[in-house]
Amino acid sequence: MSPEVELVGAFTNEESLLGCVERLRQARARFRVYSPIPMPHVNAAIYQRPSFVRWWVLLGGITGAVSAFVLTIGTSLEWNLVAGGKPIASLPPYIIIAFEMMVLFGGISAVLGWILLSNLPTFEPLSGYRSRFTADEFGVVVRCAEDETPRLESMLREAGAQDISREAA
Amino acid sequence: MAAAVDINLEPTYADIDRSARAILAPPGYKYWIWIGFLLTLTLTAGGLWTNQIYNGLQVTGMGNPVMWAVYITNFVFWVGIAHSGTLISAILYLFRTRWRTGVYRVAETMTVFAVATAGLFPIIHLGRPWFFYWLVPYPNERFLQPDFRSPLVWDFFAISTYLTISTLFLFTGLVPDVANAREAATGWRKTFYSIVALGWQGSDRQWRNFSMAYLLMAGLATPLVLSVHSVVSWDFAMAQLPGWHSTIFAPYFVAGAIFSGVAMVLTLLIPMRWIMGLEDLVTPWHLDNCAKVILLTSLIISYAYIVESFMTWYSKDPIEMMTFHMRYFGPWGWMYWVMVACNCVIPLCLFSPRIRVSPVLLFMISISVNIGMWFERFVIIAGSLAVNFEPSTWRFWHPSVTEVMITIGSFSWFLMLFSLFARYLPIVSMTELKEGISWLKQALRQGYDEAA
Repeated sequence: MSPEVELVGAFTNEESLLGCVERLRQARARFRVYSPIPMPHVNAAIYQRPSFVRWWVLLGGITGAVSAFVLTIGTSLEWNLVAGGKPIASLPPYIIIAFEMMVLFGGISAVLGWILLSNLPTFEPLSGYRSRFTADEFGVVVRCAEDETPRLESMLREAGAQDISREAA
Repeated sequence: MAAAVDINLEPTYADIDRSARAILAPPGYKYWIWIGFLLTLTLTAGGLWTNQIYNGLQVTGMGNPVMWAVYITNFVFWVGIAHSGTLISAILYLFRTRWRTGVYRVAETMTVFAVATAGLFPIIHLGRPWFFYWLVPYPNERFLQPDFRSPLVWDFFAISTYLTISTLFLFTGLVPDVANAREAATGWRKTFYSIVALGWQGSDRQWRNFSMAYLLMAGLATPLVLSVHSVVSWDFAMAQLPGWHSTIFAPYFVAGAIFSGVAMVLTLLIPMRWIMGLEDLVTPWHLDNCAKVILLTSLIISYAYIVESFMTWYSKDPIEMMTFHMRYFGPWGWMYWVMVACNCVIPLCLFSPRIRVSPVLLFMISISVNIGMWFERFVIIAGSLAVNFEPSTWRFWHPSVTEVMITIGSFSWFLMLFSLFARYLPIVSMTELKEGISWLKQALRQGYDEAA
């Protein structure tokens, strides 16, 4: 089996990149994409399902709301002072606290979710990354066996890649 | 005016990067003079606060029955200012509003610093600020817990949540832009940007998780923005005091908050756009849309003022009617009419499309809105306390130097934080401007056709 290499192709617009991703997907190639802007169409072409972050947010939100009810009801029962003739555990005002804590925990979970699921923080650049891929160009990195490179290189070129380079995998 | 600026009407990604990165160049001496001026004012206010802690609240003009005056006015004012940031960054994001791209980072940054400023005032207002942490529910040796039925405790939770979420939202949006800035930076800035960017490289996996988190955070922040100022309004509306005890307070305060917040966005954005040469990123189209939001919310709060007066008249409650009579014609009546002029009359000029694209006139209107909204908070808070159920206790507050200087200090503290951010982190979102580059081109062409 021939050694593996990575082909890095740079694109100047999202349409060419999307065309390239479609071709690579049909060819069942292993690839990664870099972009300076969010790419909903490209992501939809690569991934069959939405990000797992949504479950983090749901879990965080539920945890926040439940914790708020435990906190408010628990502390009211511990310090059971009747004020204004209201029940010791008065749910309507506690819903406000529960709402705020649901948002707080949900938001924190969203940020932790996207950071951890994206393998961040990292200070080691991913292979094939070029500084212009966070500025004004899009990049595709295809991992393949050495003997497959001519076919994939021509595929990248046909899709509109401006600049193709090769790196050891 | 605008036509004198050399504008590139067909910007590319590289042009957006060039304009946005140019702001991050090391600032000149004028910038440091500005920062030094703001720091001096802030430290002066800090010194006066220290004196207040040492000598007690007697150094302020507060006393029975006006126990909430300028400090709480400032608190409500700054929380209100903070609202437009989340409106623009979250609500308009969910509606896919195109014009938000040019202004949202300014609004979001303003939000974080405005909440950070607002959060200081309940502490400054305390006679014994070192006991502030008693609001936090934690197991303690006193076996006491905060009363969760109190609106002040709701407020503590609402403001803390709002500060945390708006900071996280700002940080999330910043990461791809800071990664972009990292690639062009050198020296300590490169290290700093590398740390803030967390090693972001814009891979498909990173964008996939980022986009989902951003969308869901916008979804969470949208009801949050409405809840926070509602909770702030309940600090007043839950009390029995005439002038406070009203069911319309939540929507009334939220509309007022968005009104003052968008005005503050323009107050910051218009000079910044001129000083930093951002005319090709923040176009008259962006300003025009901000002005429309100001006009709409001005009409909503004008309606609230009318309804509030009508309900008082319709109730025939003598104490309530006296409170409002004193509000219009009492010793502080001039404040009410300044408020009406600034919040209801002057914004009507924004019906003119020419005024909506004129930066100078918009700047003047935005300043008048900020003045009007500050007076609105004061008229509601201190005005209602001064004239209460018992005429023998009526007393009108007179400001002390401490209160005036701490109020000025809050503006300098806010402007200092904002100015530092604007020079050291991307104050316009390169990512979103690129994403909506076709709209930006269209806006530039339209804006300059109109200006011509």
